[in-house]
Amino acid sequence: MTALFGKRKKFSLRHQPGFTSIAMACFVLLYAPIIILVIYSFNEGRYIAVWEGFSLQWYIAAWNNEAVIDATLRSLLLAFLAALISTVVATMAAIGTTRTSPYRGLTSIHTLINQPLIVPEIVTGVALLIVFAAVKVATGFQGFFYLVLAHAAFCIPFAYLPIRARLEGMDKTLETAAADLYASRWMTFRRITLPLLWPGILAGAMLAFVISLDNVVITEFVKSAGQETLPTYMLGQLRRVITPEINAISTVLLLISLLVVSLYFIVTRKRT
Amino acid sequence: MSIFRKAGFVGVALLASVGTANAAGELNLYNWGNYTNPDLIKKFEKEFDVKVTVTDYDSNSTALAKVKAGGHGFDMVVPSANYVKIFISEGLVEKSRPDQMANFKHVAPEWNNPSWDPGRMYSVPWQWGTVGMVVDTEVYNGDINTSSLVFDPPPELQGKINMAPEMNDVLALAILYHGGELCTTDKTVLKKVRDTLVAAKVHWLSMDYGLVEKMPRGDFAAASYWNGAGFRARLAKPSINFGYPKEGYLLWMDSLMVLKDAKNMENAKLFQNFVMHPENAGLISSFARYANGITGSEAYMPADMATAREIIIPDEFKAAGHFLPACSKEANDIYTAIWTELTK
Repeated sequence: MTALFGKRKKFSLRHQPGFTSIAMACFVLLYAPIIILVIYSFNEGRYIAVWEGFSLQWYIAAWNNEAVIDATLRSLLLAFLAALISTVVATMAAIGTTRTSPYRGLTSIHTLINQPLIVPEIVTGVALLIVFAAVKVATGFQGFFYLVLAHAAFCIPFAYLPIRARLEGMDKTLETAAADLYASRWMTFRRITLPLLWPGILAGAMLAFVISLDNVVITEFVKSAGQETLPTYMLGQLRRVITPEINAISTVLLLISLLVVSLYFIVTRKRT
Repeated sequence: MSIFRKAGFVGVALLASVGTANAAGELNLYNWGNYTNPDLIKKFEKEFDVKVTVTDYDSNSTALAKVKAGGHGFDMVVPSANYVKIFISEGLVEKSRPDQMANFKHVAPEWNNPSWDPGRMYSVPWQWGTVGMVVDTEVYNGDINTSSLVFDPPPELQGKINMAPEMNDVLALAILYHGGELCTTDKTVLKKVRDTLVAAKVHWLSMDYGLVEKMPRGDFAAASYWNGAGFRARLAKPSINFGYPKEGYLLWMDSLMVLKDAKNMENAKLFQNFVMHPENAGLISSFARYANGITGSEAYMPADMATAREIIIPDEFKAAGHFLPACSKEANDIYTAIWTELTK
């Protein structure tokens, strides 16, 4: 007993043997390639791994490349619409799964909502290719709408999880009190639930935005003529010569993602 | 709510900016990424008042899968020779009869009747090239026109070799090295091929893309790779040269075809005729740096290309070039088995 106790006393979460070195190795492995990518985006030469001096020419080249600008704008619009739709749906789903008395099938609904997290992207991609192709042939309509729909679908769980977590952490007595004071269900939702839930909703929307912005596999399968997004544009360059222009674009994309993720942290920290 | 309103404005502005311009017609080209010269597109748009949209793919199989599924919205596609045959036999492309178009007379004689599209009834040459030996002559100064450089490497090159990770190319080169027929199922030849590859792999440093970046800085000294990349590598380091294996090397060609369910059929045919003009074919090559199969287009290419040994095959090596045919399933199964053993 004492031996066990003694051993346990020694154990401290802060000072596990090798913890620091493993953590450092992980950080280096995660961030060193990204730092190198950013450094080489300022390369003067036309090769991505031979340093020839500092220059902003690849940022200028990317800025002047119509295909890049076009794909970037499309990616941002797509991410915005997908985040908007998926957040609205996710909010409704989160309320529907937390603010009701438990009913049969609640767990399976929860699993269904999170299905895009479990099913491999390639499977979703191929499935959507087949279904959308049939719809496109039948209706003759090939618009941007399919991409928005596909992205909104796989973004739902990413928006759902933070919203649901927020709802579960919220004090239910406030809503009960509102109901006691004869507030209608809509009024309770509008004046009590929604303001309290707002940080969760924003957090969910930002996550969804980033997830949509980064997606390659599903987009590649669903996109129709003229629906290149930034990630699929970059994929198309791989087989041929890659110039630091790709680094420059990646750096900008990284900045956008970082910005959104930082906003996410600021929003969630302030209110909780 | 002002956030929403602002976001709405941004959304509308974005929608407007990615919407189509108001030209008389449209054309949707589905092509390899980074393969279409924007100047070529602008020239066509100006000449015919057609708004052209280019969408990328990264492999023949992706392109085939999407076109086969239908509802893609593309008018034209640019597959490689063996896939041209598949697109035709699957009935996915329109018999647009390039052979009867005005500019067909510019197609070089060796390209106007290819085995994968006899008589050129469907396809127009886009670009072609070779798979051969890219060698740094600073490291090895012997004969570079042999595939023994990668299959039975001299001591100077051992451990300094890169192979493009393309199953069909590597196996075909090895079969030619042993004097076999492409697509052969002859077990005695394939046994030799397998043994050679397994023994050679010990001397290979890598099986990877990205030769243009890696070879000039000295990551490796020899490679089995595409000629256009070899050409660009030489521009970065003059001691790099391109060899045409006398045992046999590979030829490839990507061809432009009109899809059967194209919405802009007439514009697509106009575009086929358009790219057969030497000036326009020259634009294609100036951008992606491969030859195009159109006589007289050299005049419109940068000077460094018109004389490049990598792009213009010297006469003495012309006979050793082979096109990759589409092989039987039996052959493909054996090749896949050898490749799997090699890459595991």
